[in-house]
Amino acid sequence: MAIADSTRRLAWWQKQRTRERALIAAFLLPSLTIFVLYRLLPLLWNLVLSFQYWSPLKPAHWAGFDHYQEMLFYDDVFWQALTNTLIFIAASPFAIAFALAIALLVNSDLKGAAYYRSIVFLSYPLMTVAVGIIWRWMYDERGGIINYALRETGLIAAPIPFLQSFAWALPSVIVAEIWQVLGFYMIILLTGLQSIPAHLYEAASIDGAPSGAQFRRITLPLLRPSLFLCAVVGLLNSFTSFDLVYIMTNGGPGHATELLITYVYKSGFGQSKFDYAAALTVAQFALLLALAFGANRAAGSNVGALER
Amino acid sequence: MTKSKISRRRLLKSGAVAAAATLCTPALGAAPQRLSFLTWNIIDQEPMIRGWIKRFGARWPGVEIEWLDKKGPEIPAFYQTQLAAGTPPDVINTQGALGLEYADQGALLDLTPRLQAEAAVRERFNPDYLANWALEGRNYMLPFYITKTLLFYNKPMFLRAGLSGPPQSFAELLAAANETTAENASGFLTLNFDWLYWPLYAMNGVELLSKDLKTSTFNTAKAIEVTERLALATASGAINKISWTGRWVEPNGAFAGGNVGMLHAHSPAYFFIKGQGNWVGADTLGVAHAPGGFATPNSHGLGISKASKNPDLAWEFLKFVTDEGAQELGVNRRLVTGNTAVDTKNMAALERDDPLVYAILKTQLEHTDKMVGNWRLGNDSAMKEAFWPELQSALLGRRDARSALAEAERKVARQLKRG
Repeated sequence: MAIADSTRRLAWWQKQRTRERALIAAFLLPSLTIFVLYRLLPLLWNLVLSFQYWSPLKPAHWAGFDHYQEMLFYDDVFWQALTNTLIFIAASPFAIAFALAIALLVNSDLKGAAYYRSIVFLSYPLMTVAVGIIWRWMYDERGGIINYALRETGLIAAPIPFLQSFAWALPSVIVAEIWQVLGFYMIILLTGLQSIPAHLYEAASIDGAPSGAQFRRITLPLLRPSLFLCAVVGLLNSFTSFDLVYIMTNGGPGHATELLITYVYKSGFGQSKFDYAAALTVAQFALLLALAFGANRAAGSNVGALER
Repeated sequence: MTKSKISRRRLLKSGAVAAAATLCTPALGAAPQRLSFLTWNIIDQEPMIRGWIKRFGARWPGVEIEWLDKKGPEIPAFYQTQLAAGTPPDVINTQGALGLEYADQGALLDLTPRLQAEAAVRERFNPDYLANWALEGRNYMLPFYITKTLLFYNKPMFLRAGLSGPPQSFAELLAAANETTAENASGFLTLNFDWLYWPLYAMNGVELLSKDLKTSTFNTAKAIEVTERLALATASGAINKISWTGRWVEPNGAFAGGNVGMLHAHSPAYFFIKGQGNWVGADTLGVAHAPGGFATPNSHGLGISKASKNPDLAWEFLKFVTDEGAQELGVNRRLVTGNTAVDTKNMAALERDDPLVYAILKTQLEHTDKMVGNWRLGNDSAMKEAFWPELQSALLGRRDARSALAEAERKVARQLKRG
């Protein structure tokens, strides 16, 4: 009874649970503050800006849906940039498939697998700007190694202007993007492969399951979290490939390699249309949100299970 | 006793006041006036600019100048963020029509009253170049260093093709391009950014906009014909397709390679070509005006941010840079500045010391009344974005000229409507 009385007498701030919660809050506070200041508030301000006419030196006034109307019904570049962004995203599965093939190889008894793993991963830590410059030179029409190799092997008669051609520019940039991110995908998938218990394969072998069936029935299902993590990373990369495109083609020729992110930049800083750029950003954010949600659902809502 | 106390208090008070006065007076007197000066990719001229700052500081004691230099692509983002933060550089150097866009946004100080008040300053400059930075009759920038397009040609290639001199008309230009084209050589290249290709249309009487800049006037039978002829020449290889896909390095690099007949570019291209092409010399590189004398300027101007806390001092600095500074800049970089007296003096020395550079720079000072592609628009970059991709499609044969120009007209009209 005396103990109960003393418990009842404890003020709310003296309770163990409160102290624990306060501790958690104290740990979270710095991150949350940064998140709110540098993510949430700009996002909200961007949303407001997309409904206004605004430039750094002119007072803002209400624009309603004017920017969205312009974007959806009059701006061909927006649609081109959106299409290109979706093509960029669609290229991710190919990169993941390629990375999976490499991961399977380096996970096997292949001689020197560790070296191959390092070589493939080397591209990932490179700065994207450096990757862009390297590939720009490799694609060069006059002195690029790719044209040189193709001509020397007799595959082409005249050099291909990879980055100046409307047809070749986007695939060329996508190849560079895949090359850079391949190592990262490979490491994620390799980790996934190595976490699959070996006894499952042994049991399947005893049951006489061919290797193809083992891959379909054991490897792929158990790799699902890793595959979808790669898919989400690929999705985010596709939306943020600004530096690579900016360095390699600056969105050209015409708008053949324009992505939403490069178009946002050009509208804002090239044409001083920050309000319109804000509307473009909202469209991009909405698309990203929808695709990330879809990918997460497809993964059984457990993307990131590896971290747990 | 009392008297003594008062006296001590007074003494202490007086001492305190005197000490405060002593401490504060020099601080107030020496409170530095600060200017920030943003330049566009001339970091190589650091000793010269430091010298300007030192000399200007000697004339204006207590003035501190912070100099910043940014590369071309970085300038707009940097300046816009500084504007948004309310701390733009006092003096800004921009290229092409960017200054007009900033003026239209209200970022730049209107220099018209100052130019009206100081006729001697106004008259320093070539009026045609000065007028390039006038928006709705108000002048927002002064010439810093000036450039416009001209025609470079490869004399040995012309000789081999049996051509006696540079083309005098659009038809001759295409014919010359055709005649200098060979298996590994093309006849003509042009730069395409910032409307630099526009003389090709101007020499055919095509104008982008009406005089009041309110309606588009380019979608004509003549413009379609010109576009078709350019596209045909591109398809045949007479015009190198880098003309419509490259920006700076690619076309200049291709011409420097020595297997392109003509290059239509502005004067700084010479230094790039000279640096890369060991064939380039007074006997081998021809210099001429484009047919009709038409040229598109792409000059550098200096303006003052409206938010400057020291606009009068910034104006003094502008006057200093465009006079004494211009003299030094012209000599160091072998360029023309738009300051007539400075250019006359520097050109006389160049004629003697470097006849090829002299010939190139001479074109920059001639036919200044025939500058085209320099519409005084507050939304020039948006207009370019509306027009160029459509034209580019036609020039590269991806769509027919008629439909491309019709589409461009629709987009330009949309931009004109939106302002």
